[in-house]
Amino acid sequence: MPLKPLKLLVIAGRRGRVTVKYPYKEPIVTPEFRGEVEIDPAKCIGCGACVKACPPNALEIVESEREIILRYFVGRCIFCWRCVDVCPVGAIKGTRNFELATDKYTDLYTLVAHSRVTCEACGKPVETTRMRRYVVEKVQVAEEYVYLCPDCRRRVFAERVSARRVGSSELEEQ
Amino acid sequence: MPRLEEAQKYIELATQNRGEAYAEGDTVFITIPPDRLVDVADTIFNKYNCSFRVCAGVDERPLKGHFSLVHLFTDDRAGCYIAVKTYLSGDKPVAPSIVSVVPAADWCEMEARDLLGIEFTGRETHRLVLPPWWPYNLYPLRKDAPYNYRPEPRVESEKVGHSPEYGVIPLGPYHPTLHEPEYFELYVEGERVVDVKYRGFHVHRGIEKLAESRMNYQQVNFLAERICGICGFVHSTCYALAVEKAAKLEVPERAQFIRSIVLEVERIHSHLLLLGVAFHLLGYDAGFMHIWRIRERVMWLAELLTGSRKTYGINLVGGVRRDINEEKKQKALEALRELSSDFKSFIEVAMSVPQVKKRITGTGVLPREAAVKLSVEGPVARASGIDKDARRDLPYAAYKYASFKVPVYTEGDNLARVLVRVEEVFESISIIEQLLDKLPGGPVLLTDFEIPEGRVGVQVVEAPRGGDIHYVITGRGAPYRWRVRSPTYANIPALRVMLKDQPLADASITIASIDPCFSCTDRVLVIRDGRVEVMRLAPVVK
Amino acid sequence: MKRSIWVFHLNTGSCNACDIEVLDVLTPFHDAERFGVKLVTSPRHADAILLTGPVTAESLPKVINAIEAVPRPRIIIALGSCGCGGGIWHDTYSTIGGVNKLLEILKERGIVVDAVYYVPGCPIRPEALLYAVASIKGIVSKKREMKIYKAE
Repeated sequence: MPLKPLKLLVIAGRRGRVTVKYPYKEPIVTPEFRGEVEIDPAKCIGCGACVKACPPNALEIVESEREIILRYFVGRCIFCWRCVDVCPVGAIKGTRNFELATDKYTDLYTLVAHSRVTCEACGKPVETTRMRRYVVEKVQVAEEYVYLCPDCRRRVFAERVSARRVGSSELEEQ
Repeated sequence: MPRLEEAQKYIELATQNRGEAYAEGDTVFITIPPDRLVDVADTIFNKYNCSFRVCAGVDERPLKGHFSLVHLFTDDRAGCYIAVKTYLSGDKPVAPSIVSVVPAADWCEMEARDLLGIEFTGRETHRLVLPPWWPYNLYPLRKDAPYNYRPEPRVESEKVGHSPEYGVIPLGPYHPTLHEPEYFELYVEGERVVDVKYRGFHVHRGIEKLAESRMNYQQVNFLAERICGICGFVHSTCYALAVEKAAKLEVPERAQFIRSIVLEVERIHSHLLLLGVAFHLLGYDAGFMHIWRIRERVMWLAELLTGSRKTYGINLVGGVRRDINEEKKQKALEALRELSSDFKSFIEVAMSVPQVKKRITGTGVLPREAAVKLSVEGPVARASGIDKDARRDLPYAAYKYASFKVPVYTEGDNLARVLVRVEEVFESISIIEQLLDKLPGGPVLLTDFEIPEGRVGVQVVEAPRGGDIHYVITGRGAPYRWRVRSPTYANIPALRVMLKDQPLADASITIASIDPCFSCTDRVLVIRDGRVEVMRLAPVVK
Repeated sequence: MKRSIWVFHLNTGSCNACDIEVLDVLTPFHDAERFGVKLVTSPRHADAILLTGPVTAESLPKVINAIEAVPRPRIIIALGSCGCGGGIWHDTYSTIGGVNKLLEILKERGIVVDAVYYVPGCPIRPEALLYAVASIKGIVSKKREMKIYKAE
């Protein structure tokens, strides 16, 4: 039928204008939308669970002598919210923010800096202050091991085991 | 479960050929020595009429000391998978090629050669996937090659091919009609296309190697979703189902229902996308705009159910991350009703436009015998008379609870491929309504499980473009080997048949009618010789 | 700049999700043509390049040719997780790692790029691209800034 394609005008007329005039009006975003994530510096303990779970390595831990820095790079984030799933203290929260365009590369970073505690035996920097406090509060720990670094823990444990085997009190006095 | 007598005939075939076999779940695993490979493949493909899916090379030197080569077939009548494995010895392994009896195995053998260094006897080979300047003896998928070593890239470009008797028209890699970089060289005589050369694999990103090295089981779901942006959820679901099959996990039923519902939402969006693009290529831009306006409702629905308009990110090994409550279900049903009536009234108008009807009728014909030999997939196969659909033949997720029709046409031209897709949209809407009605209660995610090492899982999922197959060997914390073959990989060699002797102006609509998704095809990397070479398609139909 | 911006869409090996959202911006729902944005077919007519995908090793020479064909002033708008930072595969053997590495290679060959804009997302929302175009034209101001916090 030669006139059937003209029915398109009827369909178009019935629909009317469908454009949403963003940015002058609000866009249509459902409440489930996954946008940027936000790190709460008051709650974060610097444990690195989110770093292990992030598929594109958008969350990274940068270490230096006195600080452990959690670095979030929005440029590489895939907005999967796995970090929100695995955080033990709920410091990472998701938002619905997607207006992230910028012309400066450094605008896309968020840094959270934590101070480190040191090992009581050898003085090497170990973990963040908050992480140690979190572990001590949540779990029953053995007092003689929790303030040491992993190498010193192994060393002290081996000494105690060999002292019990040998059974000599001179080793314990040392 | 395959019927016992069906699986038995494959086990007998293996023992007759000095091999061993066992059946587990719906898969039959066969191991045979390399010299019997061609005969066994011939029997399975030609005598028992199975479809060939893919072959994968595996570097099993840390486990067993040899390379191995696995050919995957599916028996669509009986509903079972058949994995045929041979072990190849030495550091420069050699295997017999099955291309003479199974022409569909052409590309995957060359890929195994480029990535792992397995040589094939009985056929001519050339480089397929990697760029021409890649160093010759660096095989990325071997276990001793690192995943992040980058040789210095070459930045000079190459010249277009040359032919003394025909005109050469380069189509791509950046062209107004193509959305992805791929390079077709069309050899024309006047207005007729005489030959096609294809250089692809610009989208190779090294996904299979990445999954074995840096990632763990749950992160690979997100990686798999980004193999393709249009059919990503299919890859993510197929990987999760393959790992769950290998580890024998009991996934909650509600999670399987949600997976099927989202798979059908993705099918609707993908078919509407293709129809819009096809109208645009034919010059009917009003059709393009209207269909994409209708499609926006599907994107809103996907965002409501999963959290993102595309690359949904709700799949995990063991279930899904989001649930569907009563309010979302009502909104979804209302959106689908609106969509169905909108699309129906529009498509009747669009198919009666004279330029659309005349340009796609009778062009780009793929005859049935060529389609069977090449094992094409999806709407391309169903438009050429092959009745093949993995949702019905090898049921997975919650499809056994829904009843639907599979549209089959016999002409094999562009119009048939478009009509198959239009009917599939209406079938998908009906499937979603049935599944939403029958949604069972319960949890949606399985949290406490272990994945043992050394198990094998094979799974086929029907993507909008055809059957997508994933092959997983589990390792410790991450997959040991993961092989993906997406449907466009099997459909591109059919282009040579479809474009032959057709007018040049129909080339772009024919290429678009197989719904090519080159990012699915190219995920692997292949290395080439030092010469500049354009890939040739193996001669299938003389 | 207050003129209308004509864009050329350059796919350097992406998964196509950002590409179909770019096409979606031109459809009646979001309608980028209100801002004068038009998709052109050749880089020689373009003002800006919409770059998607981590630049793969195979497509590198072709991308350089296409960018060289854009007349000055050249603007690159890097879309998505792959464009801004290399994406989920930023360190594999087959990619070169996002738009910053590409800018270094272009600088070595003497091709000057005047401005680069980054639009994160995976895939980007069409509204995010409209926000980027509006901020190039000066209608809205950018919101994202670097944040440094000190936990104890």
